[in-house]
Amino acid sequence: MKSLAANYITMKRERLHYDWEKAKRMKMCYLFLLPYALLFFTFFILPIASSIYFSFTNYNILEPPKFIGLQNYINLVLQDEVFLTAVRNTLVIAVITGPVGYILSFLFAWFINELPRWLRTLAVVVFYAPSIAGNAFYIFSIIFRGDVYGYLNSILVELALIDAPKLWLLDPNLMMPVIIIVILWMSMGTGFLSFVAGLQGVDRSMYEAGYVDGIRNRWQELYYITLPSMKPMLLFGAVMSITSAFNVCDVPRALAGYPSTDYAARTIVTHLFDYGFSRFEMGYASAIATVLFLLMILCNKAIQSMLRKVGT
Amino acid sequence: MSMNPTPYKPAKRTRGDILHEQMVLRGEIVENKEPVSHKKFIIISSIIMALLIAVVVVSFVRVDAVESAALQGLELPKDAAYASIYMVGKVAGIVIGAGYLFFALIHVLAPKRRKPNRSFWGDLGIYLMLAIVAVAMAFPLVFSIASSLKPLDELFRFPPKVFPQHVTLDNFSDLFVTLSQSYVPFSRYLVNTVFITFVGTFGHLFIASMAAFVLAKYDFPGGKTFFSIVVTALMFSGYVTGIPNYVIMSKLKMIDTYWAVILPAFAAPIGLFLMKQFMEGLPDALIEAAHLDGASEMRIFWSIVMPNVKPAWLTIIIFSVQSLWNTNAATVIYSESKKTLVYALQQIQAGGVARAGQAAAVTVIVMLVPITIFVLSQSNILETMASSGLKD
Repeated sequence: MKSLAANYITMKRERLHYDWEKAKRMKMCYLFLLPYALLFFTFFILPIASSIYFSFTNYNILEPPKFIGLQNYINLVLQDEVFLTAVRNTLVIAVITGPVGYILSFLFAWFINELPRWLRTLAVVVFYAPSIAGNAFYIFSIIFRGDVYGYLNSILVELALIDAPKLWLLDPNLMMPVIIIVILWMSMGTGFLSFVAGLQGVDRSMYEAGYVDGIRNRWQELYYITLPSMKPMLLFGAVMSITSAFNVCDVPRALAGYPSTDYAARTIVTHLFDYGFSRFEMGYASAIATVLFLLMILCNKAIQSMLRKVGT
Repeated sequence: MSMNPTPYKPAKRTRGDILHEQMVLRGEIVENKEPVSHKKFIIISSIIMALLIAVVVVSFVRVDAVESAALQGLELPKDAAYASIYMVGKVAGIVIGAGYLFFALIHVLAPKRRKPNRSFWGDLGIYLMLAIVAVAMAFPLVFSIASSLKPLDELFRFPPKVFPQHVTLDNFSDLFVTLSQSYVPFSRYLVNTVFITFVGTFGHLFIASMAAFVLAKYDFPGGKTFFSIVVTALMFSGYVTGIPNYVIMSKLKMIDTYWAVILPAFAAPIGLFLMKQFMEGLPDALIEAAHLDGASEMRIFWSIVMPNVKPAWLTIIIFSVQSLWNTNAATVIYSESKKTLVYALQQIQAGGVARAGQAAAVTVIVMLVPITIFVLSQSNILETMASSGLKD
């Protein structure tokens, strides 16, 4: 046993030595990487580390951080009812808009794949535009306006489906559906582009071979040929849609107000902003950020391992 | 069965066609799908057309009746039946009309030879659905453009109309009047945004491309680990780092400077990711040949690799411009003279009823910039996205 362990250690050491020699020979690689690595470390790795650290402290920027153990997390769960609302809302939004947006992105990318080139371009622009149109979702505050001049209210009143205008953006029960619709409208983002490009790249001869092998309709073709060869794009699209599904902030803030009635449209990110940038309770806000970070990473890892099984 | 192996002339026969024909001839495949004839297409399109006309005629007849009643001083019949027929007519007219147009265009413009495994009804269903969803997706954008062209009284009329009755550019000119009266001159906001966008984008492009080059083309210890960390960063980028970044910026004394926005943008993981994936597609031989000719790494990077990844850097520029153009940066920039254009415009949007027209104009201005850039560069972006997949 001892010799085995010793062998292992020598092997490791040799490996390390080999890597070191190689690294010395390839110094210029590290030089090229250095500027990016430095910035990436400062603005992505360090923030995560310090956010975990601050989450165990009481910190308001002016005074030095005071270590208070798990108190922030205990307060989050036991005392902060608004946070629980925020978690519930975020999960509802993520669970609905994440998968639905993802599937819609793929389906529509697949549908437009066989259109003539110019028409496909037009369709890509129409579907992708909402997600890059800045704060164009502001128009929904006119469509869903609470008085009778609101577009939806006026239609419904005209149809005599409702007799008084509904307060779409102020009523706690109606806010979330409206927000979900708006987010779905904006959900065909980078992942959608990746799908469109990936579908164009699937080898045509595979379809012909599949046809000879007895594939008889488009759904079989999708399942047996298209999906397996799209796996890398599916993984990338999943990362994109999970990240945006959890990062919901601007839409509820702009539409339902900040803070919204009864905090009914509060999400984890707006809660984070409230504590971080309005009250400057950085320790508490860091605890919220850490929870969000863990949620996103876990969700991503779970979905990734699920998607890797597609078509295998 | 009737043997009918070549019902129409294929434009170009692929290997699959030939194999298929041989199998049909040998009787191994029973050919049961007829190619779509123009007869079928004409019948179906006429039915749709007739439906459309019927619905529209019915709705208009009803509207005429109601309006003439109103002219004679009679009370408007507010019964639900009238209203619903009217609305159904409008909506169905738009939807079916758009769907029909779409479908007809496809059939006229698509190649005559149909692909295997595509049923006629499936195509029809998909085209109709595409048309309906495309109309629904485009509606809010069209509505915001239309609203920005309405005079104020039309913005608040009942029932509201989608399209303006009297087109006017007053909202835009009012917006410029408001902006010229602001505390800080309007041009200042514009300069701020242009500076942030320009420096942020080109710095990011250069720094991320350098890193992507060595990650894609050299196998050095730590490279793969570093890249997998960057991919993980794709999963949480966004607001998670906002709070600690604020603390870091305040330690670096960069709060209330442009750098608080620009420096994090330099390190955006999506740019590095897309660039690296695209560079992997470059042939290694290209770089080896340059090495043999004695070119330095910097020279290889600058005059061989970069010119060959034009689609990727256009994509990076566009993604970066989109995000920087849309930042309001209100959390890290306090001085009014350093605020961004989007921030100033959002203040006008928040101005309530009196500024509703200007708010609509703002929305249009903010949204047109990224959409225009995308339209102009979409072919390059799609070329880059083709290599965006996450490999195992």
